[in-house]
Amino acid sequence: MADTPRDLPEAATRRFADGSFSSGLSVADFAACLDMGLEPVGLVQGFCAMQWGAFTMSGMGPGLNPFSGTQGGYVQNYQCPHGMVSNEHRSWGQNYQQNWIEDAWRTGFNNAYSRMMQEAQALGAHGVIGVIDSENPLADTGVVEFHLRGTAVTLRDLQAPSETPWSTFLAGQRLAKIFEAGYVPVSIVTSVASVRVWAYCVTEYLMEGTGGLFSNYGGAAEIVQVVDAQNTVRDLVRSRVRSSLHGDALHGAHLEVSVREFAKGDLELQSRLSGNRVRRFKDFDPLPVARPTVRLS
Amino acid sequence: MTNESNDLPQATEHRLEELEHGLFTSDLSVNEFLLIKEVGFHPVGFVMGSSIYHTGIQTRKWSQSQELTKLTEAMYNARELAMTRMEEEAAELGADGVVGVRLDVNYYEWGKDAAEFIAVGTAVKAEDGISRLNKLGKPFTSDLSGQDFWTLRQTGYMPQGLVMGTCVYHIAHRGLGQTLGTTGQNVELPNFTQALYEARELAMTRMQDEATRLEATGIVGVRLEEKSHQWGSHTIEFLALGTAVTKTSDDVTLAKPTTIISLDN
Amino acid sequence: MSGPPPPRTTLKDEVRRALESLAATPTTASGVTSDLSIDEELNLHSIGWEPVALVSGVSLHSIPFGYWNWGQGEIVAASSAFATAFTNATARLVREAGSAGGHGVVGVHIEQTVHSTHVEVTLVGTAVRPVDPGARLGRSVFASDLSGRDFTMLMVAGWEPLGLATGASFVFAPRRSMGTVLQQQSQNVELTNFTEAMYSAREAAMQRMQEAALEMQGTGVVDVKVMEGPMSFAKHAVGFIALGTVVRLAKESHQSIHPTTVVSLNDASVAFDAQSLG
Repeated sequence: MADTPRDLPEAATRRFADGSFSSGLSVADFAACLDMGLEPVGLVQGFCAMQWGAFTMSGMGPGLNPFSGTQGGYVQNYQCPHGMVSNEHRSWGQNYQQNWIEDAWRTGFNNAYSRMMQEAQALGAHGVIGVIDSENPLADTGVVEFHLRGTAVTLRDLQAPSETPWSTFLAGQRLAKIFEAGYVPVSIVTSVASVRVWAYCVTEYLMEGTGGLFSNYGGAAEIVQVVDAQNTVRDLVRSRVRSSLHGDALHGAHLEVSVREFAKGDLELQSRLSGNRVRRFKDFDPLPVARPTVRLS
Repeated sequence: MTNESNDLPQATEHRLEELEHGLFTSDLSVNEFLLIKEVGFHPVGFVMGSSIYHTGIQTRKWSQSQELTKLTEAMYNARELAMTRMEEEAAELGADGVVGVRLDVNYYEWGKDAAEFIAVGTAVKAEDGISRLNKLGKPFTSDLSGQDFWTLRQTGYMPQGLVMGTCVYHIAHRGLGQTLGTTGQNVELPNFTQALYEARELAMTRMQDEATRLEATGIVGVRLEEKSHQWGSHTIEFLALGTAVTKTSDDVTLAKPTTIISLDN
Repeated sequence: MSGPPPPRTTLKDEVRRALESLAATPTTASGVTSDLSIDEELNLHSIGWEPVALVSGVSLHSIPFGYWNWGQGEIVAASSAFATAFTNATARLVREAGSAGGHGVVGVHIEQTVHSTHVEVTLVGTAVRPVDPGARLGRSVFASDLSGRDFTMLMVAGWEPLGLATGASFVFAPRRSMGTVLQQQSQNVELTNFTEAMYSAREAAMQRMQEAALEMQGTGVVDVKVMEGPMSFAKHAVGFIALGTVVRLAKESHQSIHPTTVVSLNDASVAFDAQSLG
């Protein structure tokens, strides 16, 4: 049994010393666990509260100087095609990647994850299944809590790995089918990308639906700047996740994007991709086509 | 394909033409599509009919429980119009029947005195070329799903038509006053009981009459819906719906089903 | 002379073997990303297909100011904005799938929102292809909202998906004139002019979907969904959207699937939700 890591609250040490286990598994999942030869040894969790108000540039105010991206991430500039119009006219706009937000998020998530895995190691666990990952922003304070929890499991007579245990969001029958399909879970994967949009005149006119004097550009058209940002924020998170797979596969992925509007023409897009990193341990051996049935009930 | 002048708007003509030239559309799921094919039917086209109808509430005696006959007629006629147009679309396509029929009522900004009644479904045609039109010479309609249609065919029965009976009933207000006197006691409320009983019976009887007109052997999948629509809680529409069927063959091909216990969550 | 049959591997043995392999250096690299469930993946495997990459496509198209105000008939700007946004989003999705080596995209989640100023369409799905490189055809990449299971059953029956077809029409619902008409007429009559307006709009959406299907040279459209309702920002404007997967026969003829009937002995059970802890 590994030494109790230093990073955990004292309460965790007491809970583990107790001996009996708790688990977040339903009865069906618990049964499936035992079918697989996995034994639950305890409920484990990791927690981290991060503040990144200090990291963002949004304090600069809306509609003023857009940030000229020098961080080496995605940057795309948009020039006004109208020529000098007025001080109100947004002659220049920019999309850029907010690396500092992504870094802060990653720190928070990784802290929570490694604390959960430390708890698992303290129990001598082989892996953690049924992971639930929640992020709760504390409204208006710029603080986000990361909370990860799962059920630590061991495999009888098999040495626990010397490095971090494996982990997966799956449990129960869905996990059993992963093994039957020839995959072994490696770890959960979650990542975010953040893109800020400072609209230039054309985007502004299209979003407001005004053609105004510039009906050539304010008429019916694709809103290119926002489309670029939307597609890029998804591409960025996918590339980041792909490069962290090191050749393994991502199964049961979930991709979602949220949009925040700070002010007119000042948007922040955040994409989040999570999934199970899995690896093939045996050759592709497909089951025959399933037998179709009609249920009479 | 009929050339009789029908009730359908211009826009429909063009759409149905495309369907007659070989493209089929269907709102059946993939499972339902495959099961329809199993029993020798092919989807021809998504068909629909609608009618915007004036259904304003009529004056009634507050103290008496009674059927509001004008409203009953309105609700019935509106749905009939929608169904008839849907059947006409199916007939245009040379279909034998319509499966998966859904009846909906939409209220828009124009308030509670008018509503749009819609009937939609997928028109199907028998692949063996034998006509399956019902006793009235029209395509059969049914609210059966693809799975239920397949199962019905296994029993040797054929749908004849979606049958419905409706009754809009007003429940007396004085009846409510009387009940307040009996609050706290375990007692039947005769006024309510009588009213609801009569309303439901009327709806079911009318539905059965329709089945008789189709010379059906029976009705399957009967359900009774109760809605207040936009009239307040003392006026309720009772709608009885089912699919009238007749026996077409003595062969029952439904094999003994296998029993299973699912291991999925 | 045949020897005894090889011992059946149990689930426990498979799991043990799998976890032991974690210690070793991985040999096969794939880099596959997929949002399909394991059931969907197993279904694909059974017909020799596999997931390749998670792909997406987004498009926003503007609707010029003033088009949602009172008017009559169709709101052409909205209908065409929707059509263009959907086409652009699909094109991007399909292009990503093609670059990743996919033959099609299944299980596409479709989000379409009509705002007063623009239409937004977001598509996310998993690109898939036949496992056997020899089975890969040079056809154009299809997109479909069919699940992995529906795709599998369709293919087993001899059909193939060609793409998503959609049609939309936005119209002004009759309103102001409705009040006067209702006063003039007695109950229990149809309001024919209004009927015609809504009916035509619904038919127009369906017809545009059909035209899209014909352009793909499909024989049919399955799993058609019709979404309709007033706009949240303009209740007097009503939108109709029809969407389905275009298919055609890939084999000589439809292949029967021969289903069997089953009776389940499960009682309905309430699912326990682990997220209710903590």
